Amino acid sequence: MTDHTSSPWHRATAGLLFVLAALWIYLVWNAPIDRVQGVVQKILYVHPPTAFAMYLGFVLTGVGGALYLWRGDARYDRFAASSAEVGVLFAVLMLLSGPIWAKGTWGKWWSWDLRLTLTLVQFMVYVAYLLLRSFTEGSERAARFAAVYGIIGVVLIPLNYFAIDLAAGRSIHPENLGDGSLGEGMRAPFWAGVVTSLTAFAYLLVRRLEVGGLRAEAAHREAHDALGAEG
Amino acid sequence: MSGRGPAIEAHGLTRRFGPVVALRPLDLRVEAGTTLAVLGPNGAGKSTLLRLLAGLARPSGGTLRLADTDEDRVRRRRRIGMIGHETFLYPALTARENLVLAGRLWGVADPAARAAQLLEEQDLGAAADRPVAAFSRGMGQRVAIARALVHDPEILLLDEPFTGLDPTAADRLAERLREAHTAQRTTVLVTHDLGRAAQLADAVLVLVRGSAHEAPPDGHADATRLADQYRQIVEAASRSRSEVTA
Amino acid sequence: MNVLLAILGKDLLIEWRRRDRLVAMSVFAVLVVLILYFAAPPNRAEGGHAHVPGLLWVAYVFATVLGLGRSFALELENEAMSGLALAPADRGWIFLGKALANVLIVMVVQLLTAFAFALAFDLDLWPIAPALAGVSVLGAIGLCSLGTLFSAMAVRTTNREVMLPLLMLPLMIPVLLGAVRATQGLFEDGAVPASALQLLLVTDGVFLIVSFLGFEYVLDD
Repeated sequence: MTDHTSSPWHRATAGLLFVLAALWIYLVWNAPIDRVQGVVQKILYVHPPTAFAMYLGFVLTGVGGALYLWRGDARYDRFAASSAEVGVLFAVLMLLSGPIWAKGTWGKWWSWDLRLTLTLVQFMVYVAYLLLRSFTEGSERAARFAAVYGIIGVVLIPLNYFAIDLAAGRSIHPENLGDGSLGEGMRAPFWAGVVTSLTAFAYLLVRRLEVGGLRAEAAHREAHDALGAEG
Repeated sequence: MSGRGPAIEAHGLTRRFGPVVALRPLDLRVEAGTTLAVLGPNGAGKSTLLRLLAGLARPSGGTLRLADTDEDRVRRRRRIGMIGHETFLYPALTARENLVLAGRLWGVADPAARAAQLLEEQDLGAAADRPVAAFSRGMGQRVAIARALVHDPEILLLDEPFTGLDPTAADRLAERLREAHTAQRTTVLVTHDLGRAAQLADAVLVLVRGSAHEAPPDGHADATRLADQYRQIVEAASRSRSEVTA
Repeated sequence: MNVLLAILGKDLLIEWRRRDRLVAMSVFAVLVVLILYFAAPPNRAEGGHAHVPGLLWVAYVFATVLGLGRSFALELENEAMSGLALAPADRGWIFLGKALANVLIVMVVQLLTAFAFALAFDLDLWPIAPALAGVSVLGAIGLCSLGTLFSAMAVRTTNREVMLPLLMLPLMIPVLLGAVRATQGLFEDGAVPASALQLLLVTDGVFLIVSFLGFEYVLDD
């Protein structure tokens, strides 16, 4: 086993995050104030970036699960579990920042709009994923079940968007947040937010992986001690 | 013995449940057409080993090969007949229905005829069309034996197959296993019954707390000698453990 | 294919002998309809059918979740699931056999539920009966495909009664969306909107494929 605490990834992501966060705060501070929405519009620099990180977390959960089923290596399972946990954290951030923005622009905290609701559902899928892990005995079985569920969760993402397109037609939520829809002077802080958010994601994921590795090591040692070292 | 090589070959086979190690890295070689008895105290990892060999559990480490079908899981399962800790039977179905179902799952040519034949063999003719739920453990065990034999497997994996059997049925099973032996079937027999082990086995493996100890060859010709050896191995294993902890 | 039929026949035979699942699901579904009747009484003054199709599907979904929980509970007795896992067949066929048995059982329950629902909410379902049956079956396939897979997982978790709905419900939104819109279309203008039908078909297809493939990994220890 490697020594996880001095991982170069850990230090690299932490340093990068520090620099990016400072830059991002500076850019957001100096970004123009939206004429229609006012200051609350600056949540644009927080809300979509956390959503990107959330989806990244969920996709990585599925990828880790698929790799685990294919190769059977417990490290892929730890990767999937860590991605899910960090993804859920970003989902919470997104679900908190969304209503603040909504209150400021639409005048209500939450709208039971399909797109919003499906994101909430997507979040519930990963809450269920984490519950499944904690309720399944035997780490190998938990890993296998979670992998299957995590992969299905990723399949659901495009299916949900397909469902919105077909069944809903229109949504109160902006359809896409591509470059074109961003106003003058908003592009730089927005993309800084995205990069910062993804770096924060990477940092947390690395830390979580370290914890997972240490836990596995501890469990391994415990098992070894419990059985004695004969043979 | 024919020189067909090993029917089962394992290297460094391991199984962990989270922090619990059920089976330490184990090297195992069972020659085709022979019978291996696996002995050991409760919780030694015997059933775990059997479920790994059957492909019901996935090894946490190591490799396992069943004679020239190491790749295809489906073909591998076709070679195996297993009697488990439980009977694998549906209580709501009759003995015959359970066997016909097994015959269909294993792709037997005429499941109904095969079921009838096995029921006859196991002396279950009278009870054949009663739901298994009403059966005693011993009767259920006889159906389980028939179920494991439904596709005439090359490799038999037996977990305490004598459980609940009356002496006649137990003798019949032993007879059946000896026949399998002459017919070059490979058998792994997990049991606490040292007499049966001595009677049927070509080789003996003693598992203690997930670690393997091989009984020396030729030492198990009769049951008392095997029993002595078994006790020595188990005691030695627990002694070496207490030395480590101390 | 032979394996599929063997498993399907076995599950239906066991259900026929015991009838416990069918009875429990039907009684439960009727109770849900009753509760919906009191919780959301039909409002004839406004001529509002708006949420009635949704309520019908609430009853379907709850009854289905209840029944799916039993689907693999019966494989736990005598550890029959290991017997299935040992069978030299592609496990996807075992999955399809069990899923198909579940769909058929759910269809019977849907029929009874629809009767109770029509009575409680004073609906005339006869003219749209064939189309409603079709939509119900498509919905049942979506529910039972992933539901059967998750049932096999949930019975071997420590919290099995809670785990199945937790796993299943968040993934059922596309099915529900399609089924409810289709039923709404039927109630309002007697025709199923093409987009809802498309959504149902695509979702059923995707769910069947992922469950078929995923089942390989859920039978082992």
